[in-house]
Amino acid sequence: MIGFLLTDVPEELIHAAGFFPYGIVGGSRNLEEANAHLQAWACSYSRSALARSLEGELEFLDGLIIPQTCDTMRMLLDLWEHVRPLPYMDNFRLPRQVNRPSAGRYLLGELERIKKGLESFKGAALDNEKITESIKLYNHNRQLLRRIADLHAGYPNQLSSRQLYTLINGSMIMPRNKVNRLLQAVVEELEQNLSHQENSGLVRLLMSGTLLEPFEVLDYIEEFGGTVVADDFQNGYRYIEADVDTDKEPLEALAERQLRRIPSAAFDLVINPRRFFLTELARKKEAVGALFLHLTFCEPENFDCYDNLKTMQEQGFPAMRIETQFGGAGLGQIRTRIHAFMEMVGGVSQ
Amino acid sequence: MTAKNVFKTAGLMKEMMKKYNEAGRKAKDDGILVAWVTAVFPVELIYAAGLFPYYPENFGAVAAARKVAHELSTAAEEKGYARDLCGYARIGIGDAYSEEHPVGKILEPDLLFCCNTQCGSLPKWFEVAGRYYQSPYFLLDSPRVGLETDQLCIEYFIEQLHEMIEFIEKQTGQPFDYDRLKEVLSLSNEACLLWNEVLDSAALKPAPFGFFDACFHMAPIVTLRGTQDAVDYYRALKEEIDERIKNGITAIPEERHKIYFDHIPCWPKLRWFSDLFASRGALVVASQYTHSWAYSFDLERPLASLAENYTHEFVNRCFEYRVRRKISFMEKYDVDGFVLFSNRSCKPNAFGLYAKSKLIREQTGLPGVVFEADMADLRLFSEDQVLAKLEPFFEQLNQI
Repeated sequence: MIGFLLTDVPEELIHAAGFFPYGIVGGSRNLEEANAHLQAWACSYSRSALARSLEGELEFLDGLIIPQTCDTMRMLLDLWEHVRPLPYMDNFRLPRQVNRPSAGRYLLGELERIKKGLESFKGAALDNEKITESIKLYNHNRQLLRRIADLHAGYPNQLSSRQLYTLINGSMIMPRNKVNRLLQAVVEELEQNLSHQENSGLVRLLMSGTLLEPFEVLDYIEEFGGTVVADDFQNGYRYIEADVDTDKEPLEALAERQLRRIPSAAFDLVINPRRFFLTELARKKEAVGALFLHLTFCEPENFDCYDNLKTMQEQGFPAMRIETQFGGAGLGQIRTRIHAFMEMVGGVSQ
Repeated sequence: MTAKNVFKTAGLMKEMMKKYNEAGRKAKDDGILVAWVTAVFPVELIYAAGLFPYYPENFGAVAAARKVAHELSTAAEEKGYARDLCGYARIGIGDAYSEEHPVGKILEPDLLFCCNTQCGSLPKWFEVAGRYYQSPYFLLDSPRVGLETDQLCIEYFIEQLHEMIEFIEKQTGQPFDYDRLKEVLSLSNEACLLWNEVLDSAALKPAPFGFFDACFHMAPIVTLRGTQDAVDYYRALKEEIDERIKNGITAIPEERHKIYFDHIPCWPKLRWFSDLFASRGALVVASQYTHSWAYSFDLERPLASLAENYTHEFVNRCFEYRVRRKISFMEKYDVDGFVLFSNRSCKPNAFGLYAKSKLIREQTGLPGVVFEADMADLRLFSEDQVLAKLEPFFEQLNQI
């Protein structure tokens, strides 16, 4: 099993090489042991992932891939290797710029390097056919999850926000074949009940951030009459939004998908296309407000936050930012703030 | 560097930096484009293209050294830029929004160039600035490099250098002058060589020059690398150091210990640290930071050589490489202990520092300590906390 930190990693390659790609999603509640190695001002995702490993919760992993999406992720692999080495460990060194021809050529080279590393760890060559098979499996998974996300957005009473994001995150830790069968059943059940649906009356929200955590946030939103119909989280819509082209040479197709993923703070360009992407998404999904959920100490988000909030508000969407963390966020305070926000956007008629 | 021990060359630097700043201020009138660049950036291309390179990080360091970081930072924080962002970035963004400019106004860019060899904070800051000043931005992307030479990263970087030259040509409307680049690279080589000879003098026992002196004298190697001024400056400094060696003038009155220090100094407390170490007979002699500018370019293959130098800078290297490099400095300068600064503003240097410290202690047997503070913001600095870490360290040194 090869673990990965969320979520810009070529899972298809790991899977094709004969490994089980395992997304390290939930966090540890006890960060103390990790704090001895990683300063308390590193984001709680990095500390909680490391803490889980130190506590022996990830003993089943044979390897780990960390995508370089920020400085913390850039520094974490080596530290992890030092305190809890695994037989296979690698960084996925993503290009930081995505709009010049050099980015594509480099990324292809980087994917080839990852592929070689996996082959050498497995002791077997990896052919294109196998990669394409895995790509198809993962595409199918994304298609099913997108269909479920659409059904949720259209009929939020039928499937709650928490259920939707649990299905997305669950996909990262279960065998993909099995997940796809279960998701297919979910789709069928939801589709059968469509005719019984009426207007939910729920206030439609967009959420934005690097990682959706804690999931209790979704409960509070629903408690106060809201539902999440759009997002750009690494463990949300960003994970499922784009498929890999199966007509192309597989590594090229994987590189191309990575480069045309929706904008994120880790790969933004100077114009910050994400702010426009988010307002467009809010409009398309008929959201009436935006809730930014940022992990404390998340530097990429903190740099773009002012701009994103401002743009959202200028475009007529009430917006609020809440800081959270893995390993025990102040849930009471978060609930109070969500209550206030929901009042502002027309929710809370209990 | 005690007051009576001031270098004569310091006056020359003040003059040179004044000239440089004036040139920046009148660049627009002279029809020269102001290009923001980062400290570890192939500025040689900027000089060769006839642009004026400006270093917002220097602005940050100056504001920090003059103890006004928090004032400027507050203006950024009020806009919603969190206090845990890099101090230099908060200073730069704060100055843009601030009515008050306690260290003068940051020079507005016509173009922005950033290389992320150092960190991911710089590109984010420059993106914010690019939006604020509405100026075109170019990122030179440098993926992290491990222990070995990384051809993939070098080739990627070379390709981006071509893209960057095309970008510059488009902005200036002039063809790029490769002959001029060779001249600039040659001047850069010369300045780097002299600078490193200056740094090496700290290995003498007792030494005429230490890390805190280096922090003062590093502005030209960062800013004017690639110009005749930088070469002249370090030649003068080198001569002065040779003279000091001849006359037996030392950096601190009584040098009993040599110390290795990482990484950036704590600018608003530079004098405090320098006096503290001197009072304990400890001279800080080396740091990866001041040794960053040790480039050596092959004039026959300029772009490849730029790519090799800038992508393989220590700050972009893996844990193991950095530990080895620190130890090699400790050996070269024959130090008695090491002090590592876990800098709130600098994640790539701070994360992993506790593990590195432990490893270095095990491998070298030297006493060492990690302290927490910020390079710029005094709100994130506590004398008591730093002393609580350093005093036991000084005790250990005395037992050697």
